[in-house]
Amino acid sequence: MSFGSSHYTPAMQSLIDEFGKLPGIGPKSAQRIAFHLLKLPAEDVGRLAQSITHAKATVRFCERCFNIAADVLCPICADDRRDSTMICVVEESRDIVAIERTGEFKGRYHVLLGAMNPLEGIGPEQLKIRELVARLGPEAVEEVILCTNPNTEGEVTAMYLARMLSPLGLRVTRIASGLPVGGDLEYADELTLGRALEGRRTLET
Amino acid sequence: MSELYRDVGVVLRTYKLREADRIVVLHTEANGKVRAVAKGVRKTKSKFGARLEPMSHVRVLLYRGRELDIVSQAESVEPLTPMLSSLDRATLGMAAVEAVDQLSIEGEPDPRLYKMLVGVLRSIAEQPSALTIPAFYWKLLAAAGLSPVLDACVHCGESGTEVSLVAFDTNEGGTVCRACRSGVGISQGAITVMEEILGGRLREALSREESPLTHEVAALATRSLEHHVERRLRAVAMFEVHGT
Ligand SMILES: [Zn+2]
Ligand SMILES: [Zn+2]
Repeated sequence: MSFGSSHYTPAMQSLIDEFGKLPGIGPKSAQRIAFHLLKLPAEDVGRLAQSITHAKATVRFCERCFNIAADVLCPICADDRRDSTMICVVEESRDIVAIERTGEFKGRYHVLLGAMNPLEGIGPEQLKIRELVARLGPEAVEEVILCTNPNTEGEVTAMYLARMLSPLGLRVTRIASGLPVGGDLEYADELTLGRALEGRRTLET
Repeated sequence: MSELYRDVGVVLRTYKLREADRIVVLHTEANGKVRAVAKGVRKTKSKFGARLEPMSHVRVLLYRGRELDIVSQAESVEPLTPMLSSLDRATLGMAAVEAVDQLSIEGEPDPRLYKMLVGVLRSIAEQPSALTIPAFYWKLLAAAGLSPVLDACVHCGESGTEVSLVAFDTNEGGTVCRACRSGVGISQGAITVMEEILGGRLREALSREESPLTHEVAALATRSLEHHVERRLRAVAMFEVHGT
């Protein structure tokens, strides 16, 4: 797949190249976005450029949990009412948003900023694992809940963390994975259905 | 353009694509390496569920596309559950698919490679062993026509009981005598284990407990396969850092 670079002006080519580096954007999409931007009024493009620069300048990672923060600490780490004995470990900040929406969890979080993927060269050193271990003592953590994604990378990461954390004498748990509410049983794959059976619960009557 | 075809294969790796899709790379029985888009696979309600995760053994229905094929249906041939039942199994499974990813080629059917991969994943699921992956690597090399020479010196050709083979030369793919010494040192025990692996006594090799000997054979296997594919294999080493 090649888009002869000679077809574009250098400015256009460099714009397409930059978009092409973004996650999930292939050369074709990069081209489409670049052309779309050129059609927009100058003030719209200016606003977009400004929000990117502004976000980059003001948004940062929480020093403690690596959640998105506007300050040294994110709002959750800064909130004294949160239970510091429980840490929920997630892959990305957006997972915190999803868990917070449930209103079920009152502890704190730790964002790994990814998951282990040996084939991509992402190992323990590339994730915020050392930083997690460093929090356990000072924050008197009693339970670590592993909330990585229920896919191969997430499972491997969870098993790695479990092996590492269990000898430290704290409770290490993994979120149950099972059938999505609203899905049909017959479409469930074997792994999901097996996990759902493992994590079954008694019905209150 | 939208020709439909069926195949069986093992998922080697996946890449995120757009919001909820993934590119799935498989080594299939009849079509060699296949790169296909699985639409909506990352949504929790996806019809594909966990069937298109790395190490999954699946029967697939695909549309042939110009650049990437499209997965229309996928059903499990074997459950992925055992592979994710322990860190050791997952690590070994990753190492197996990583090696096959290096050897599998688009548009070049290699049913033997498919059979070997399915076999090694099954063996990991049933009974992971210290030598499962090293044995797999040696078998891959042998299948590529690169069986190591273990009963003579690859430099001078000297063989027999009076010659002592003291080193292994990865570049030459075999043992070396004391006089020609090159490469890395090799013990007589390691030569014996490699003969077991390549000489039809795999079961004996796999029943060996983890020891300095199995580590020696493992290191040689990794080095030799890396030499063949001309790049580093990362899966095995990644989990060794934390050796408790
Ligand atoms: Zn925080
Ligand atoms: Zn010699």
